[in-house]
Amino acid sequence: MKYVIIGAGVAGIEAAKTIRKRDGAGEILIVSADTHVHSRCMLHKFIAGERDEQGLDFSEKDFFSKYNVEWKKGVRVEKVCPHTKEIQLDNGEEISYDKLLLAQGADSFIPPVGELRKASNVYGLRNLSDAQAIVKEAETAENVLVIGSGLVGLDAAYGLLERGKKITIVEMVDQILPVQLDAHGAEAYQKLFENAGVRFVLGRKASEAVCEPDGKIHKVTLDNGEELACDLLIVAAGVRPALACLEGSGIDCDRGVTVDASMKTSQEDVYAAGDITGLSGIWPNATDQGHVAGENMCGAAESYTDTYAIKNTINFFGLVTLCVGRIKTEEGDQIQIKEDKTQYKRVILKDGKVEGILLQGDISNSGTWQYLIKNKIDISGINKDIFDINFADFYQVKEDGGYQWR
Amino acid sequence: MKRIMIDHEKCDGCKNCSIACMQAHRETEGTVYDLDLTDPRNESRNYILKDADGHYRPLFCRHCDEPKCVEACMSGALSKDPKSGHVFYDETRCGSCFMCVMNCPYGVLKPDTVSKTKVIKCDFCVNAGEGPSCVASCPKQAIYVEEV
Repeated sequence: MKYVIIGAGVAGIEAAKTIRKRDGAGEILIVSADTHVHSRCMLHKFIAGERDEQGLDFSEKDFFSKYNVEWKKGVRVEKVCPHTKEIQLDNGEEISYDKLLLAQGADSFIPPVGELRKASNVYGLRNLSDAQAIVKEAETAENVLVIGSGLVGLDAAYGLLERGKKITIVEMVDQILPVQLDAHGAEAYQKLFENAGVRFVLGRKASEAVCEPDGKIHKVTLDNGEELACDLLIVAAGVRPALACLEGSGIDCDRGVTVDASMKTSQEDVYAAGDITGLSGIWPNATDQGHVAGENMCGAAESYTDTYAIKNTINFFGLVTLCVGRIKTEEGDQIQIKEDKTQYKRVILKDGKVEGILLQGDISNSGTWQYLIKNKIDISGINKDIFDINFADFYQVKEDGGYQWR
Repeated sequence: MKRIMIDHEKCDGCKNCSIACMQAHRETEGTVYDLDLTDPRNESRNYILKDADGHYRPLFCRHCDEPKCVEACMSGALSKDPKSGHVFYDETRCGSCFMCVMNCPYGVLKPDTVSKTKVIKCDFCVNAGEGPSCVASCPKQAIYVEEV
């Protein structure tokens, strides 16, 4: 049996490991554009110079030899042909498979504003290659413009602050981290970044950006006419599943590759996991999907059921935040807030159930919130301060000593 | 694997287990008699929770069969040891993202109070001698180690 996995992110690595545990003899090949296995969530540490390439590796020590996995790196897949059961690489090579996993992730989305897509000093921050290019460009660049103030935009800024750059962040809406935080929680991070020297321009969009004769953009005009000088631009405006090589393959795609609960695509023997499915951009979900796909590629009947993905944690300058569920309030919500100088907590309740939680400053022992929210557990009968509710209120110990929610 | 079993009906909330855990993981030399309980660097990896009726509910890392903390770890710092079955934490690899804290369905994990760079996580006292210190200190035998 020959298993081919496209992508060396967590979904691909987890699938390879899972397959090897089930099939000791099968041939496993990972094909990736990435030349290092790396955690995308730590690219800011590379930009900051805190870690080198090896320091970003999330896989087990000697992963490829330990699990007897072959790895072809630095190659891109140009075409997937489920009918002939082969893939074509950009070096002209054709590789056949018995089972194929699509786990090539997503690409940074560069919006079609001015000549952003054409300029040579505009980068997304998705791959180690992006971070490497940013570090190189930063050797000569002084003024950095970051478009987008989500986690990736702030990661980029955080890393480049360590290199002493002058950073401006432009954000369309009137607060930073709009997907994760309410205005009050966002303000705390804004202040920390401002104290470190970052300038924010909120509620503004880039409207014009023209390449100069050197092929670079040196100023961006905003929708109010303000001009921002820059020598390096980082666009953090989200990602799109990397579907280009699937054109003409007959594999059904919507926002991402369409999969059923077993992570199988519309084509026989082709599976997909991770960001390419568009199901979730969250690490644990990608791990789980890779695991389920790997099991099923070996003939098991596992399902991806723990699909909840509206969850995140944030840590900048030692200020930690947990946000799970809905962040925007709506009519009929019951809101409870607790705040002192070290923490800010806000819970959104509806009909006795928690729909959203935001904890900032102290996130100790907060894992139970995700469970309460995703399983829509009614907590109205618990006679406690809501922020004191914990696993004791649902406590059950199984015979093998494991815990179970009551 | 060996697991710390819990007979919660026996727990009387004395928190000897928490003090033993703090002592086992303190950075400074010394005995439990000079353990500084007010030093935020001395943190327990176990907790005695109370439900709404005041019943004690000991919260100890289960070193789960399918650990959700490991699944969430984006740096490789958390891993399930294939030999012992325990979930170990390598501080030097940790990226301090705290997705593990979010993903533990029982709320066992927390960031360290002082630096917010490390995870406070049970290590089964592998570096502290014979078996978990919490178990040795429990006067009620509410916690005990068993092969599961």
